[in-house]
Amino acid sequence: MTPNSSIRRRGGFSLIEGLGGLLLFALMMGALTYAAAGLFKFQAHPQVSFQGQTYSLAPSFGDFRQAVDLHTRFTQSVDQADSVLVLGGQRSHPTLDPNGPSTTLSESFGDTLLAAAEDSDPFQGYSSWDQRELNTVQFAPYLSASSDPADFTILTVQGLSRVTSVTQQRRYTATVNQQASVFYEVTYQAYDWSSGVAVPVDNAVTGTTPTAFYRIYYAADEDTWAQRPGATHFWYRTDSTWNRDQEGPSRVVFADPYVLAGQDPAAPVSSVSRFVYFLSQLR
Amino acid sequence: MKARSSRFGPADRRGMASVAVLLFAMVAVLVIMANFKLNYAVSMSGDAFDSFNSQTVEKNGIAQIVKESLLAVGETAPAASPNTVQTEIQDRLGSMTFPAGVSVSLSSADTPPSNGFFPFAAPAAASEPAYFSSAPRGLAGMGGLLTSLAMQGPVADLGRYNYLFGRASARAPGESWTYAVAADLFSVPLTNVDVVAYGLPSSGTVPSQAPAVPPGTFGSGVSTLVVTSNNPANDPTAYPDLYAPQGGTEVLPYQFRNAASFSWNAYEYLWNHTYQDGLLAAAQAEADPGNQPASGADPTPPHGAVYDFSVPAFDPGNPGSYPCNPTISGVTVSGNSLTIDCSQVQSQVIAIVDSEGAGHVTIDGTTGTGNPFILLVRNTAGGLGKTQVTFAGDNGRPAIYYLENSNVAFSGDPAVAGALFFDPTTVASGTVSWTGHFSFYGNASPLGTLAISINDSLAVKEALAPLAPRVLLVSTTATRQ
Repeated sequence: MTPNSSIRRRGGFSLIEGLGGLLLFALMMGALTYAAAGLFKFQAHPQVSFQGQTYSLAPSFGDFRQAVDLHTRFTQSVDQADSVLVLGGQRSHPTLDPNGPSTTLSESFGDTLLAAAEDSDPFQGYSSWDQRELNTVQFAPYLSASSDPADFTILTVQGLSRVTSVTQQRRYTATVNQQASVFYEVTYQAYDWSSGVAVPVDNAVTGTTPTAFYRIYYAADEDTWAQRPGATHFWYRTDSTWNRDQEGPSRVVFADPYVLAGQDPAAPVSSVSRFVYFLSQLR
Repeated sequence: MKARSSRFGPADRRGMASVAVLLFAMVAVLVIMANFKLNYAVSMSGDAFDSFNSQTVEKNGIAQIVKESLLAVGETAPAASPNTVQTEIQDRLGSMTFPAGVSVSLSSADTPPSNGFFPFAAPAAASEPAYFSSAPRGLAGMGGLLTSLAMQGPVADLGRYNYLFGRASARAPGESWTYAVAADLFSVPLTNVDVVAYGLPSSGTVPSQAPAVPPGTFGSGVSTLVVTSNNPANDPTAYPDLYAPQGGTEVLPYQFRNAASFSWNAYEYLWNHTYQDGLLAAAQAEADPGNQPASGADPTPPHGAVYDFSVPAFDPGNPGSYPCNPTISGVTVSGNSLTIDCSQVQSQVIAIVDSEGAGHVTIDGTTGTGNPFILLVRNTAGGLGKTQVTFAGDNGRPAIYYLENSNVAFSGDPAVAGALFFDPTTVASGTVSWTGHFSFYGNASPLGTLAISINDSLAVKEALAPLAPRVLLVSTTATRQ
């Protein structure tokens, strides 16, 4: 008779079985807790209300789906535009506004005809700066005094006057539930000109404007990015004598709902949004 | 006291523990699977969006291939491709690299029309374009790079031409489809742009920087065009933001493609012998009412509207003495001095040839109007001497002046309507108010000695459009079907 067989005959677990079971149990519980926590964090997406809107804690799969929808529509609008105006961000003019942040149009901006452009010389329409000057009377009531560096307004235009979409990004900071947080709001409003007049396109789900949107927030110390959300203007030259204010493509970085921006601010590699564009002014 | 014994035996306890572990395992697997599916969904959504973006780039790249192929065969440039547009498209497609397993081939292609213009062909009728219009076709949606040049005056709509491409994906049959590219072609008079400081990338140089412009040169609404280097070391107006030489050579961004068509390639063509000889031939073929009629004493009098300073003028007292120049309505000659009375010109093209640099041409203006005409001063004397050209008096009759190797002066600060083309060696001085087009070699600006004030006029552009050289503007739009 071996000792083991005598133990087993006495009933209960062997020591090895007990330790193995304990280890297995601990592993299973750990995995379960970790996976469940991850799932709940991604799927339940805690939400807070800020300025009358609901924001989801990033990363948020629901908002990611909305973001893909928004950016697909945005890309199509840009693809079909004659010109693209990017207001806000850095270097809106190389000498007159090299650092920014440049002012953006407020979210209440809804004009669909750029009044000054119809009769203007198209040679002067090579930059968003010129368009801002040409439409200064129209834009002035909507220009915000203190834009965040991440804020921008993008207008897609057909001809020199018809605005086919208005895309806005806003970044807010606030303390919510005793936690310093950063809020990103991205909205896209399309206009349908097929009837000859601009008709705002409603959101397919909500039945209201804007056409597409996503709203997310991070803990403030997580708002670190390899490329910060916002707009940066690049220029070929400014030459008022020959009407050559030639702005090149603007780099526009949108907030990404499925990127946990700076989960570990000390990490050597920061997160990168997948919604990054180089937008030429004239197309 | 005897301990209470469990009613479950050891085997039962092991079984319950196993069931509990199994239960946990199942729940854990379910949670992990749900998590995996969530991440998989994110990955797939992200991939789908990336595919959408890359296919948008692919679609627009094919549209650009069509545009460049059309320009290769039809651009106003000294050397147009002898190939068909189909061959040009195939060649460009062949040099493209698509994702593994993906191929794109040309299925069908319209043959584009030629961009014919005077003197080689009757140009298509031009009219004022509109952004949003059904007739004439609106330009909205054809891109700001086209409209910025197409909206400067009357243009001829050459129509829309269609090109179909089949995309086949061996790895993803669901990603096989058709790209339809619509190409909109416009024939634009070069004179629509009011001021051009041109460059000659092949036969000369391109402007290193925009010429200095004295105050008052450009009037209200005047359109200007100059394409310079984007190298800040060459052009102090350039910023380094987007300057990226490749292999030591500056590559002009595609944003400047249409502008280069207008301000570089068209002028290479304009001062090329083909076009100049075409104008000479047109002048020679003129049935000018001022030509001497045939007679017994002069059975084959010279005809046409070409005056050559190296050939004697017609001698009324000695008809039939050849060679001699024809008599031309509106043209009087005294020695090496030739005067053109714009009120009396009948021919559509008058050419003055000065192979010795000895001629002096005076252009007397008229306050009246009349049909537009072309005056070509062709000086082939090189360093022997420039042809002296003097504009005297106001001139309201629109004309296109091509002045080669000339020394231009303006008498009495005249106001002149028309198009003034200076070749790279022409110099000018004086004061003039010019309504219409003015172009000069960017690296030999006359603005230091010439006080010219330019005014924009749609009426002048419309008058000159039938005789002006045209530039082909192309806009291509691709859609996925």
